[in-house]
Amino acid sequence: MLIAILALANPLNASAAELNLLNVSYDPTRELYQQFDAAFAKYWEAKTGNKVTIKASHGGSGKQARAIIDGLEANVATLALAYDVDQLYEKGKLIPKDWQKRLPNNSSPYTSTIVFLVRKGNPKHIKDWDDLVKPGVAVITPNPKTSGGARWNFLAAWAYSLKQTNNDEAKAKEFVTKLFKNVPVLDSGARGSTTTFVERGIGDVLLAWENEAFLAKKELGPDKVDIVVPSISILAEPPVTIVDKVADKHKTRAVAQAYLEYLYSDEGQDIAGKNFYRPTKPEVAAKYASQFPKVNLITIDEFGGWQKAQKTFFSDGGVFDQIYAK
Amino acid sequence: MQFKKKIIASLLISGGVLGAAGQASANDSSELEQLRALVQELDQKVRVLARKEELQEEDLEKQKKETPKIKASASGFGLESADGKNSIKLQGLLQSDYRAYNNAYRDVRSRSDFRAGDLDNGLTGFSNTGDGWLIRRARPTVLGTLFGKYDYRFTEDFAGGNATVVDAYVDARFDPAFQVQVGKYKSQFSLERLQGGGNIKFIERSYVANDIAPNRDLGINLHGDVLDKKLSYSLAYNNGVQDGGNISTGTDFNGASEYTARLFTTPFKDQDSALSGLGFGLAATHAHFSGQANLNYTDTSAANGSWNGLPSYVSDGQNTVFRYNTWTSGSTPGAVADGTRFRLSPQANYYYGPFGLITEYVRISQGVSNYTGGSPAAGGTATDFVINKSSNKTLNHDAWQIAGSWLLTGEDASFGKVKPKQDFDLDKGGWGAWELVARYHELYAPCKSKAGTSYTQAAGAYSDLSKSVKSAHSYDLGVNWYLNEDVKVAVNYLHTTFEGGDIKPGTGANILANGSNVADRSDEQAIFARFQISY
Repeated sequence: MLIAILALANPLNASAAELNLLNVSYDPTRELYQQFDAAFAKYWEAKTGNKVTIKASHGGSGKQARAIIDGLEANVATLALAYDVDQLYEKGKLIPKDWQKRLPNNSSPYTSTIVFLVRKGNPKHIKDWDDLVKPGVAVITPNPKTSGGARWNFLAAWAYSLKQTNNDEAKAKEFVTKLFKNVPVLDSGARGSTTTFVERGIGDVLLAWENEAFLAKKELGPDKVDIVVPSISILAEPPVTIVDKVADKHKTRAVAQAYLEYLYSDEGQDIAGKNFYRPTKPEVAAKYASQFPKVNLITIDEFGGWQKAQKTFFSDGGVFDQIYAK
Repeated sequence: MQFKKKIIASLLISGGVLGAAGQASANDSSELEQLRALVQELDQKVRVLARKEELQEEDLEKQKKETPKIKASASGFGLESADGKNSIKLQGLLQSDYRAYNNAYRDVRSRSDFRAGDLDNGLTGFSNTGDGWLIRRARPTVLGTLFGKYDYRFTEDFAGGNATVVDAYVDARFDPAFQVQVGKYKSQFSLERLQGGGNIKFIERSYVANDIAPNRDLGINLHGDVLDKKLSYSLAYNNGVQDGGNISTGTDFNGASEYTARLFTTPFKDQDSALSGLGFGLAATHAHFSGQANLNYTDTSAANGSWNGLPSYVSDGQNTVFRYNTWTSGSTPGAVADGTRFRLSPQANYYYGPFGLITEYVRISQGVSNYTGGSPAAGGTATDFVINKSSNKTLNHDAWQIAGSWLLTGEDASFGKVKPKQDFDLDKGGWGAWELVARYHELYAPCKSKAGTSYTQAAGAYSDLSKSVKSAHSYDLGVNWYLNEDVKVAVNYLHTTFEGGDIKPGTGANILANGSNVADRSDEQAIFARFQISY
């Protein structure tokens, strides 16, 4: 009788048809996943007959990774950069070491890059990275210690300086020092910086995810802001992964796997394109090619990968701590 | 920060004024441009300061969420991690009682050193029945939760002059329907026993909970709430204790474990119905052990009744009124638990507005045999134990109670604490909560005195009817005054009549073989009073 009672009452009963997923993501993906989650839920119900409810959590990518390690029960993580996902293995053993090999394109279903968002008419005449270090130019970027987007910003500025100075790292350091002296407010995440620039009216230029810049322009109207594409930027590859331990605990591995795979489907890629992320599937990428400017993109490989870049620039005592403390 | 903002705002205003003045008086457009630039610069600075303040507030809000909380309230004092998953809490229960007994009962007790006193303290008298004050419970408790699901509780009692462990357990809440409790805890058997010591309606519990139901035990208890928390279950594997027993934290001396099972349902819970406060259930225990295991082969005080695996029972006034025989010398036998011990208890409670009712019944079926031998407590030569298997018998003892309560001040009655609508406060005019309580309860311990045609301690006699009562019948009336949710004053009047348990005056010190000199104990009347703090 006891077993029967337990079976009746067990909320993890295998026959339960309604599933819950938590996607812990980085700051500017709110709109993307709002649309994608609705599409996937419809797809999943049509395919299996089961309902799935997807909840999302957004914040600075580094902070989100720490939250998962500290116990936030994410079934899937869709973060800004691979280093933050690596931490789920390094510090939490929540995923396998080779997590990035499990899905196509190093588990990055879409890419993006960093552009400048300036006030309408570009009154400070900002055209490239070297305009950001001029006196009187207020630059808005989040804190690289907590934000994935900010780390892409920092590395893109660093790479620009190296190209200009024939790989002189001292000058690159001086360049980013000047740049961050022009930053009046450091938000913890990309969406916070957008709020600072757009809603609070602070600064002359926002270093923004390309999708965030396009979204801001779409929301505000073309008469409020302009997008400036610098001569060089960085290829941002936001990765996705199942958080294995959590998915297994909640018996949601199958639906979590399907969720991430659906990001690579025609519909998933189309939703990414509509939200100004660059699709990785060639035919969908071609459809949206005209909306994205041609940019000279460097990759994280030029910094020796994320592990090395993190240690050199953003770990405690790294380059950012040195130049920002000044 | 605010000060800085004001300065900058002033600058802005003055800048605006200057700008206006400039428009009015200066024809120099470059000056106007400079003023505009100045205003814009100052505007940016104000915006930056405002944004930084906003971010600081966000950080503070976040820090608040991450800062451990210190809690101090009428329900205890404690610390809790920001996420609420880890906590430690201090609680306490202090009961200071006064007990006064009727003269008639005192006369009986004073007549000889051989009645109740013999049952309690050998030949030392009636020390536990005198009028006076006592500390009934003095229990500090440390309890809390780790990792959001592992509850712990540690309660000591200093009331007896020594520190004893009352509760010491971990309760893992894996799921509301599946929880595992390990350690020393209340046996999930008697409904009134499961009511907190600070929440019971009378100063002492009834015969059901106090005499026959197990008190606390050591073991593992699988329990949970199912069917929308309308049915709770418990299935425990314990060391096992004799009737009313509170196990020590030492090892199980008889090596036989006891199984306890309980189901309790509140089928109309959360419904808008007069039956929403109705709960009822059934509990049982089962153990089986050999008589040999219940006799202590090494302890030189084997005559101590606590080593025969059998209980003693106390009256409503807490005087010992029943005990099994122990061997002292010669061939007159003692009694030892030998065979199966099975208890069964249907139980119910009901709460409706200010009215509360609790009722339960218990039967204990106890296997018993006679024995002789052992090491006399007073010294002398040890004798081999001999258990007379032909004397083995299953004895049935019963108890039941029904108790009602009525909160005169209109608070809702419940199984837990009473929270007065108005605390007692002379300045503000509140008088706390007042409650009337009444109870009737009975104890039956028959079938244990007569062996064949003889009432004396021959084979087949397990207790002495001239010392141990055959039954006790009590009614209690009381008033509880709740000054606030933590402080209570209670007064109870107790009246008990007995069957057996005494000897007619002038017929000698011992029971006659035909039992003709057995008399009923005088009625026990007592007034108990209690001052209690429980938080």
